Amino acid sequence: MSGIVLDSITKEFPGGVVAVRDLSLEVAPGEFVVLVGPSGCGKTTSLRMVAGLEEVSSGEIRIGGRVVTSLPPRKRDVAMVFQNYALYAHMTVRANMAFGLRMAKLPKPEQRRRVEHAARMMGITELLDRKPKQLSGGQRQRVAMGRAIVREPAAFLMDEPLSNLDAKLRVEMRSEISSLQRRIGTPTLYVTHDQTEAMTMGDRLAIMRDGDLVQLGTPEEVYEYPADVFVASFIGSPAMNLIEGLFERLDDGFRVSFGGSYLQVPNATLARCPALAGYAGRRLIVGVRPEDLELTDHISVGNGDALEVTVARAESLGSEQIVYFHPQARDGALDGGAELTIGIEDSPTPSRVLLRARLGGRHVLAENGRVRLGVDLDRLYFFHPESGEAVAR
Amino acid sequence: MRPSPLGRIVRVFAIAAIVLWSLGPILVGLTTSFSTQADATAVPARWIPHEPSVAAYSALVGGGSGHAFTQGTASDASAFPQSVLNSGIVTIEATLAILAVSILAGYGFSRLPFRGSRLLFWIVLGTLTLPLFTLVVALFRLMADLGLLDTQLGLVLVYMSALSPLAIWLFHNHCRDLPPEPEEAALIDGCTRWQAFRKVVLPQMRSGIAAVSAIIMLSVYGQFLIPLLLASTQSTKPVTVVIAEFVGKYSTNYPLLTAAGVFAIVPPAIVALLLNRHIRGMLSGSTG
Repeated sequence: MSGIVLDSITKEFPGGVVAVRDLSLEVAPGEFVVLVGPSGCGKTTSLRMVAGLEEVSSGEIRIGGRVVTSLPPRKRDVAMVFQNYALYAHMTVRANMAFGLRMAKLPKPEQRRRVEHAARMMGITELLDRKPKQLSGGQRQRVAMGRAIVREPAAFLMDEPLSNLDAKLRVEMRSEISSLQRRIGTPTLYVTHDQTEAMTMGDRLAIMRDGDLVQLGTPEEVYEYPADVFVASFIGSPAMNLIEGLFERLDDGFRVSFGGSYLQVPNATLARCPALAGYAGRRLIVGVRPEDLELTDHISVGNGDALEVTVARAESLGSEQIVYFHPQARDGALDGGAELTIGIEDSPTPSRVLLRARLGGRHVLAENGRVRLGVDLDRLYFFHPESGEAVAR
Repeated sequence: MRPSPLGRIVRVFAIAAIVLWSLGPILVGLTTSFSTQADATAVPARWIPHEPSVAAYSALVGGGSGHAFTQGTASDASAFPQSVLNSGIVTIEATLAILAVSILAGYGFSRLPFRGSRLLFWIVLGTLTLPLFTLVVALFRLMADLGLLDTQLGLVLVYMSALSPLAIWLFHNHCRDLPPEPEEAALIDGCTRWQAFRKVVLPQMRSGIAAVSAIIMLSVYGQFLIPLLLASTQSTKPVTVVIAEFVGKYSTNYPLLTAAGVFAIVPPAIVALLLNRHIRGMLSGSTG
């Protein structure tokens, strides 16, 4: 019994718009795979193709070992949870949950048993005789989940099921859905644009952009080894700092310089990725995660492990703060290459890219104050300047 | 913001004027219907009858002699009960028929696009721009050839072709505004397209159906030209035509005419009152 298999799926809409291009993906039995990406990346279209709500232009879909590519939704044995819950407004909660079982002509006592079991699991037993209109958003969400569970389908499909909930409830439901899915063990394909949701819920993430699958991997893999600058800046919050610099060979190693300042590249990085040496004398994009920056006060000019910066502003989160810096060297602003635009929705203003650092909440930083930021050199990322593909980490 | 005292006075007067303008004729009709012919035709006009009388009403419902009231007119008072019945039956039949066609067509045009469906939709809507009176001669010939003159079926068919485009358009917009996800959920939950439509979409459309029913009912009930041409005997003549026929060439019994008018207002008023909420929703575009 296999899970969900997408084999070279392509979706081309009339008029030539390609929403999904040659997507191959497998959700193993019991696995929770999250399709994540900015809006318009094709993730929802992919999910709808699996559900049978959207026709496939080419490729094959298999669910539970059966080829379902040209079957209508009702014959695919999947259950779907929608963003706006899609409850049947004229039916009670009980009737909503039993609807699929009634269509499958299950005996009445079995319907009742399954609905009550699922209602207990979702904690909505006392709501069974209400109409959807009388429920709160969170309760509707639970009913929608319950309606999916009772079917005992071969696969769960979830389309941004948490985005209509408030922040607190969303965090609660996040872990609840994860643990529920682990208990039931039904393979699940989950769509979201929220990278936090993706990182915390998914066994694996499938990151999509413009209809292409950019990277497929566990949350750790996509965080530690992003395939390109898009994934690097999409995964992680706040987003990774990306700066263009010149890769230089020195007598005793390599460094990457930005105008007046530079960072030493550890030998260990080169040992891990010898190809990096080939970039000597060329420009490339250096990535530094905000969490790999820290304030330092040791004045070791020329060590190549720190950057001189000016504080632009700080956003306090209590226990920590996100601080934005103007990168600058002693002789003025950091090289113009710092003005990088990375094609993601929530990138900061592209005209003047600020460095972001995640620092402890107790530092008091004066606006326009000059500080030194220590950089964890072992955790530098390097990307190809044109293609944006990862070179080394 | 609270309006100033002067603003409030102006507003009250403006509203009163509009109400009077709309209800004035009905009020005059009502008082006339309780008058005698002598009161009604007196000069100068008597706004309040000297001799209040319900004779006109009793003549309409069959008490007393209808002929006494109407002399030399195409219809007399005794034709009235049958005409109300005719109007009611044809209105209900036509509304049901139009709903059956236009709910399916409106849903289909909005949810199940096919090659050429846009064009077909615009052609259907285009027929709305044809004034009915330009077609009546052809319509009369057609109905005569089909043997449908002076039949309820004939009237229903004409109303269907005249009013379905409007209803299709309204249902199309209504379906387009409804969230598609419940239907999709039903398809995934094991429904065929038809089952999903019947069990989920149709209940979703409830308020739209109520509103369009009301609009169609009022429209059919008020038809005059078509039945004037196609319904020539008492067995099919609707109330609109019979009332008009109370107007004689040499004399008109105004109490009778207005009493019939008051009677005739009642059914559409009930429909409008009952479905008012839905009609407003439909016309303002929110169909909750």
